[in-house]
Amino acid sequence: MPTTQYGHHQVHYELTGEAGRPVITFLNGLTQNANLWKSYADYFVPRGYRVLAYDMLGQGRSSKPVIDIKLAMHADLLDHLLEQLDIEKTHLASISFGGIVGLDFAIRYGHRLHSLTAMSTFAELTPQLGLLGAVMLQGLAEVGLPYLQSMLYPMNMSSAWIAANRERIPAMKRAGYIGNDGYAMQNLMESFVEFEPLTPNLHKIKVPTLIMNGEFDFFTPRECHEVIRSKVKNSRLLIVQRAYHAFTLEMPAVTMRQLEIFLEQVGTKTWQGDQSVWIAADDPAAEVQWLPCAGDWMRAVQAQAATVPPAAQAPARRKAPTRKKTP
Amino acid sequence: MIDPALYDKARDRIAAAGFTPEIQTKITLLVCTAKNGNLMFHSGVQWMQNLNVVQQFILSQYSRELEAVTLLSRTTHWSKDPALAMEGSRIVAPLMLAWGQIMLPPGPMLNPQAAYRGISLGHAQLARIRLLPVIPDKADPLDPFVVALQRIETENGRMLQTQIRLLKNIGTEIPIEEREALVEQDQELVDGVFGEFLTWLAAP
Repeated sequence: MPTTQYGHHQVHYELTGEAGRPVITFLNGLTQNANLWKSYADYFVPRGYRVLAYDMLGQGRSSKPVIDIKLAMHADLLDHLLEQLDIEKTHLASISFGGIVGLDFAIRYGHRLHSLTAMSTFAELTPQLGLLGAVMLQGLAEVGLPYLQSMLYPMNMSSAWIAANRERIPAMKRAGYIGNDGYAMQNLMESFVEFEPLTPNLHKIKVPTLIMNGEFDFFTPRECHEVIRSKVKNSRLLIVQRAYHAFTLEMPAVTMRQLEIFLEQVGTKTWQGDQSVWIAADDPAAEVQWLPCAGDWMRAVQAQAATVPPAAQAPARRKAPTRKKTP
Repeated sequence: MIDPALYDKARDRIAAAGFTPEIQTKITLLVCTAKNGNLMFHSGVQWMQNLNVVQQFILSQYSRELEAVTLLSRTTHWSKDPALAMEGSRIVAPLMLAWGQIMLPPGPMLNPQAAYRGISLGHAQLARIRLLPVIPDKADPLDPFVVALQRIETENGRMLQTQIRLLKNIGTEIPIEEREALVEQDQELVDGVFGEFLTWLAAP
């Protein structure tokens, strides 16, 4: 994996595809690393793109600062990396922690972007998210990295995925334990102490922006993405059916297909950023991929207006069984 | 970052041979050398002037390192092969040398640079010497040596908290870039030793 220098930090990156093609840069989540985007490179490079993935500071093979790291530093680093690689503009696809970096980059370095895809992320800490973050940090600090890893699986993945991968999870956790350092993770999480909400500056994002949120993502639920959708005029919200937080890992085929459609629309200038809400098709081979979203996308259930006859509104009471009189 | 393949090879070796006295001795030699260095440092700085609340943390670190060394030493089935001790000493020599430099007169009590370096090296050891990934999936979870390794690793995570707080908050005139560079340099030192150790562990 090639390396570049950022100050006294080393940054490991992977750039695949022929020079001169449009670049897609991927930013990963907290316990992930650049390798996890390999399947995305395998998908997009044959389709005419270059793919850039790198270990953010504190992750994988890049430097892992112990003492201090500001959140803003991540976007500055991306700008530096693009400069080093002679990439003037890129499409940026980012998830979770990387999503915050993506939003920050789009606000401050929007001139370097063709488009932004913000997945499973947030622009400000909702009270729920603030408490969740505090619990995660407490778990990491008081119990340790293996605990945080165990906690993240059920938060990120569906029961179906966990059931199907139960045998592989110990080896996956071990790989994550080797690749991550508790102190670096802690440093990244503690950088949120000084986190200033990005919401007041979201209106500065002018590039085509696709916001993707898992239907069942309870880690960064709909309200987090709604903030972004409502503030970024050139955006659309796409809800991924039956998906949880880490759908880029759990449903790569669906995610890649949605990204591909979005990038095509941006490339052919047919994109319409109208803040509308859509639902991604379950089947990446389906002819129609973006389905209209009926009803209130902020709700998990859709109550119908009470137009049914009163008699049908409540279930009929069961009649008490007639008891035989005892002699 | 340590190459994951080194962990895999060491784990495969242990899965095939079990936790033999040779393997246990190798592990204990490394862990105890590292912890004895940190122990020596903490015993050297615990009576520094004006430590205030930090003194409690330093005494606590000292005691927990002592507990870990004791636990592992009495749980280990020691090998009688003196060649192991010799090769082990060669592998851990860079750590012993680094601790020796930190403890050189006037010592960390009177030398703030050496004091910061000691905290940094202790942090690197607690952060990077991780043995859970070499325990085979099918190892007996109640094997006393396995239990000891797991407990030490969990405790290392907690001790790391103190080291992090000291690295972040201790009053020092060393600029932050220099401090980060120092920490990174110590991590590379520990990674070098630990990488070679894993190769040794994997060898028949």
